[in-house]
Amino acid sequence: MHLDPFELHRPSSLEEALRLATAHAGGFDYLAGGTDLLPNYKMHLNLRPHLIALDAVAELRGRGLERLGAMERLADLERDTELARAYPGFADALAEVATPLVRASGTLGGNLLVETRCFFFNQSHFWRESLGYCLKAEGDRCHVVPQKERCYATFSGDLAPVLMALDAEAELAGPGGRRRVPLGAIYDAAGDGIRRHRLGPGEIVVAVHLPAAARARASAYLKLRVRPSFDFPELGAAAAAELDGGRVRSLAVAVGGLETYPRRFDELTAPLVGEHLSDDRLRAFSEAVMRAVRPVHNTFLAPDYRRKMTRVYVRRAVEKVRERSGAAA
Amino acid sequence: MSGLRALVRLTLNGHPVEVSCPDERVLLDLVREELHLTGTKRGCDLGTCGCCTVLLDGRPTLSCLTLARLADGRSLTTIEGLSPGTGLSPVQRAFVEHGATQCGFCTPGFIVAATALLGEHPHPTREEVVRGLSGNLCRCTGYAKIIEAVLAAAEGR
Repeated sequence: MHLDPFELHRPSSLEEALRLATAHAGGFDYLAGGTDLLPNYKMHLNLRPHLIALDAVAELRGRGLERLGAMERLADLERDTELARAYPGFADALAEVATPLVRASGTLGGNLLVETRCFFFNQSHFWRESLGYCLKAEGDRCHVVPQKERCYATFSGDLAPVLMALDAEAELAGPGGRRRVPLGAIYDAAGDGIRRHRLGPGEIVVAVHLPAAARARASAYLKLRVRPSFDFPELGAAAAAELDGGRVRSLAVAVGGLETYPRRFDELTAPLVGEHLSDDRLRAFSEAVMRAVRPVHNTFLAPDYRRKMTRVYVRRAVEKVRERSGAAA
Repeated sequence: MSGLRALVRLTLNGHPVEVSCPDERVLLDLVREELHLTGTKRGCDLGTCGCCTVLLDGRPTLSCLTLARLADGRSLTTIEGLSPGTGLSPVQRAFVEHGATQCGFCTPGFIVAATALLGEHPHPTREEVVRGLSGNLCRCTGYAKIIEAVLAAAEGR
């Protein structure tokens, strides 16, 4: 498979990258590790005439307990033992992304903004053409939910749920300036599989920041996939909590791989604060998360199965957090 | 738009090379079609199978998903560069002695990835080998012997 021609730009600073983005507005993609974008380009999915590679931008690098540069390679984050000790759930998630070879090139920012996926989108041009294309690429209808003018492609990153559960913030830089927002706010809950994030035109995720409170929490991430290697999540469940002798001081749960954006369930965890995290409460909570999510039939496993497994994986993720906190049931 | 090219200078298996390269060319095509080193294989071409693994500045890298221009100024080692002047590298020898090749198509990718793995974990457990090579596929399903060979290479057997 050969890539169609494009012009490759390789800025060495953030300012230069943003200037290029403004100059080629609407006609470019940023290139991070390339492990998601280039396979999509090979499948002729939404090609742009310009690629702006971010590998030479030093400001996007660097890692410590408080700040993780967006261009940090997943493999480097994975082998950082200090990070793994501070955020065990983040380490769980890193080890579950694709394969070691993909993680050797793939980046933190790339995984946060990984293209949404669908059985009808991630196919060869020939395959898609024979079906008349779809909303997300070249077509005007959705094959998953045909009567809707909405794209149901699934958010398929592994790192966002656990970082959201840890209250991470995203540092963003765009042609209009810089801002810092809760990580979950870069995803568009009111959008769809096409309008999937709330970044401005040309805006770059510079880094992820983790607050001191994140280091007081135990965390865990569990991933459901068909093969134990390579596959994108059919469901990813993340939990982070600070427990005081089994009593909840803070608890956050987020899932990915089910809808068009990674989703946190603050309205369901809030009533548990101050309570003892008993098995009964945990079962009721996991059941409520299951009832809240709406997967559709656009990945390998059936949506009903993914929903039922949401209940199981959320419960297990919180149990693991409880175990890692040394708290009793 | 087509035909945008740039000069790429890199160290290939210890030797400096300079080659003119279109913007959209991936490293795999540069290696196979311009530099005529065909040991590196094109498998899935989408990053799933690991057949095209090379070392870029010592890191295992999927050459099918790496733009050649981004390798400018870096050191590239292909399967051809892993052998010493004469004979085989320890990993190559172990693959031969343990019958870890069947059709042989995935072998270069496995050997490059295993060499990188042993560079980082000189004495891996079986589990570390299995996980470490989980990005390489063998369609003959000869995994047991491949894992044995890598463990043997680690032990100097």
